[in-house]
Amino acid sequence: MISQRLIEVTTAALTGLFGVAVVVSSIDNGIGWGEKGVDAGTFPLIVGSAIALGSLYNLVRGALVAHEVAVTWVALRRVAGLFLPAAVFIALIPALGMYASSFGYVLATVGWQRKLPPWKTLAIAVAAPLFLYVVFEKLFVVSLPHGALFEMMGF
Amino acid sequence: MESNIESLMHGFGIAITMQHILLMMIGVLLGILVGVLPGLGAPNGVSLLLPLTFGMQPVSAIILLSSMYWGALFGGSVTSILFNIPGEPSSVATTFDGYPMARDGRPSTALATAFGSAAFGALVGVVLITLVASWVAQFALRFGPPEYFAVYFLAFASFVGMGGTPPIKTLVALSIGFAIAAIGIDTVSGSVRLTFGVPELVKGVDFVVAVMGLFGIGELLLAVEEEMHAKAVSSKIDWREVLRTIAGLPRYGWTLLRSAAIGCWMGITPGGPTAASFMSYGIAKRFAKKGSRPFGTGVPEGIVAPEAADHSAGTSALLPMLSLGIPGSATAAVMMGGLMIWGLNPGPMLFVDQRDFVWGLIASMYVSNIVAVVLVLLTVPVFAALMRIPFFIIAPLIFIICTVGAYSVSNSYLDVVLMFGFGIIGYLFKKAAYPLAPLVLAIVIGDKAEDAFRQAMLMSKGSLGIFFSSPLVTCLILGGFAFLVVPQLMKLVRPRRARPGLEATEV
Repeated sequence: MISQRLIEVTTAALTGLFGVAVVVSSIDNGIGWGEKGVDAGTFPLIVGSAIALGSLYNLVRGALVAHEVAVTWVALRRVAGLFLPAAVFIALIPALGMYASSFGYVLATVGWQRKLPPWKTLAIAVAAPLFLYVVFEKLFVVSLPHGALFEMMGF
Repeated sequence: MESNIESLMHGFGIAITMQHILLMMIGVLLGILVGVLPGLGAPNGVSLLLPLTFGMQPVSAIILLSSMYWGALFGGSVTSILFNIPGEPSSVATTFDGYPMARDGRPSTALATAFGSAAFGALVGVVLITLVASWVAQFALRFGPPEYFAVYFLAFASFVGMGGTPPIKTLVALSIGFAIAAIGIDTVSGSVRLTFGVPELVKGVDFVVAVMGLFGIGELLLAVEEEMHAKAVSSKIDWREVLRTIAGLPRYGWTLLRSAAIGCWMGITPGGPTAASFMSYGIAKRFAKKGSRPFGTGVPEGIVAPEAADHSAGTSALLPMLSLGIPGSATAAVMMGGLMIWGLNPGPMLFVDQRDFVWGLIASMYVSNIVAVVLVLLTVPVFAALMRIPFFIIAPLIFIICTVGAYSVSNSYLDVVLMFGFGIIGYLFKKAAYPLAPLVLAIVIGDKAEDAFRQAMLMSKGSLGIFFSSPLVTCLILGGFAFLVVPQLMKLVRPRRARPGLEATEV
C-alpha cells in the first residue's frame, strides 16, 4: 500500500522541482527593472520562489505526517488498471491514430474484466471510435489524428 | 435600480428565443450527463464544449455553457441522492441526508427537496447578480492597473487564507498556476519564457488542457479506486409527492435563506460551491433544534442546506467574473477563458460595450434554471439507468473523451501528453489535499494579474508605493493581507476547531 507520507513527500518533491526549474529559467529572462519596466523574468522568479519555498515547507510537514494508509493495495491495483492501459493508449496515438488506438484501448480494458460476452465488448470497442468519427470528423469537421501507420497506407 | 430592471427586460428579449431555449435544453441535458457521470464534472464538461462554441454568437455560446453548468449542478445531486455517489464534488454534502431519505422509500421527496432548494439558491444568486453586478462594474470602471492588481491580490489572498485547505498547499497550487500562465511568449517584452527547451510550448499551455487533466483524469483515477456498486433505490418519480414537497419548502424558509446567503458569499469570494455546501450543512447541523431527528438520517434540512448553498454559490460565482473579470469558481474560470477566446474582455467594460451579452446572460439564468428543474425531474429515470452501466465500461470512454477534448483544443499531440501529466498531478493533489480551483484560476487570469502589476510599476517607475497611494488601493491591499493573516491568527487563538469534511474535498 501507499502511505499518506509517501504521497505528501512525492507531491512536495515534484512541485519543488518545478519551482526550482521556474526560478532557474526565469533568471535567463532577466530580473528586476529594465528598459521596458519590470523585466520578463521577475514575475516568474517571485512565483517560482514561492513554489520552491512552499514545497520545502510541505515536504517537511509531509515527512512528519503520521503513518496512515492513503491507497490500499486493492485500490492501487484498480488505479493501475486504468492508468497503465491509458498510458499505452496515449503512447500509441502518434502511430495508430485516435481511432485505431481507442478501439484497441476499449477492447483491452473492457475485455480484461471478462464480465461481458465477447460480442458486447467488441460492439462497445467499435462504437467508441465510430462515435468520435461521426461527431468530430463529420459534425464539427475537426480532424483527429489518423496515425502515421495509416497515413503511410493512404488513409 | 430602475435601469437594472429595464436592462433585465431587454435581456429577456434576447434570452427568450426559440434558438436560445433550445440551447438551454441542450446545455442542461449535457450538464446533467456530466454531472451524473463520476469523473466528468462541470469544469471539464464546459471545457469540452468550449471549442464547439467558437463559431457561435458570444451570447448564444455563454447561454449554452452556463446552462451546462446549471445542469451539472443538478445532475450531481441526482446520483448523490439515488446512489450515494456524488457526481460532483459540490454534491458530496447532499449524500449525507439525501441518500438515507431516498433509501427509506422517499426518493421523490428527497429529489424534490433538493431541486426545490437548489432552484431557490440559484434564484437568490441571480437576483443578487441582477441588482449588484452593474453597480460593482460601474464602481470598477474607475479602476486603474494598481487597483486591478490589488483586487486580484485580494481574491488570491482569500483563497489562501480562507479556502479551507492548508494555506501553504494553496499557495503552491496558486503559484504553479501563475507559472503555467507565464509559459510562452511574454506579451510585454516579447521574450519567450519557461518553455524548458520545448519549442511547442511557445504558444503557452491552454487552460482547457489543464482542466481536462486535473479534473477529468484526476477524478477518474480517484473514482476508480473504490469499486462502485450502483445500488440504486427506486428512481420512479411520484409527481404528486414532488408538488407536495415543493409546496412545503417554505417551512424551511430560514434554512433556505441562510444557506443561500452562505452560498452567495462563498461564490463571490472565490470559495466555490463545494466549500459553500459543506459550510452550509455544518451550520444547519449546529442550528438544528434539540430533540429533532439527528442529521444524517434523512432530515429535510440536511438536503435543503447544502443544495441551496451549492447553487447560489454556483450562480453568484459569475458576479465577480462579469463585473471584475475574476471568476468565483473553477467552472466560472473556464467560462471566462471562453469569453476571452470569443474576443470579449471580461470585466466592467462588458456592461458598457456588451450590454446584450451581459443582460442576455443574466436573463437566461432565470429561464435556464427553470428549464433545468423541469428537465432534471423528467430525466431522472433515464440518467439513473445510465448509472447502472458498470464503471469499467464508462471509465475508458471518459478517458477517451478527455483525450480527444485536449487534442481538439489546438490539434496538438503535446496537449494530450500534457493533459495526462496534469491528470497525475490532479490525482496526487486530491490525495494530498491541495486545492485545484486556485490552480485553474491562476492559469486563466495569471497574465492579467501580471500585466496589471507591470503596468502599475510602469506608472510608478518601479516603486511599490503605488499600492498605497490612494485610500481605495490601500484598503484592497490591506484587506488582502488581512485575509492571509487573520485566519492563521484565529487558528492560533482557537486551535483545532474541527471543520469536518472540508479539507479533503475542496474544489
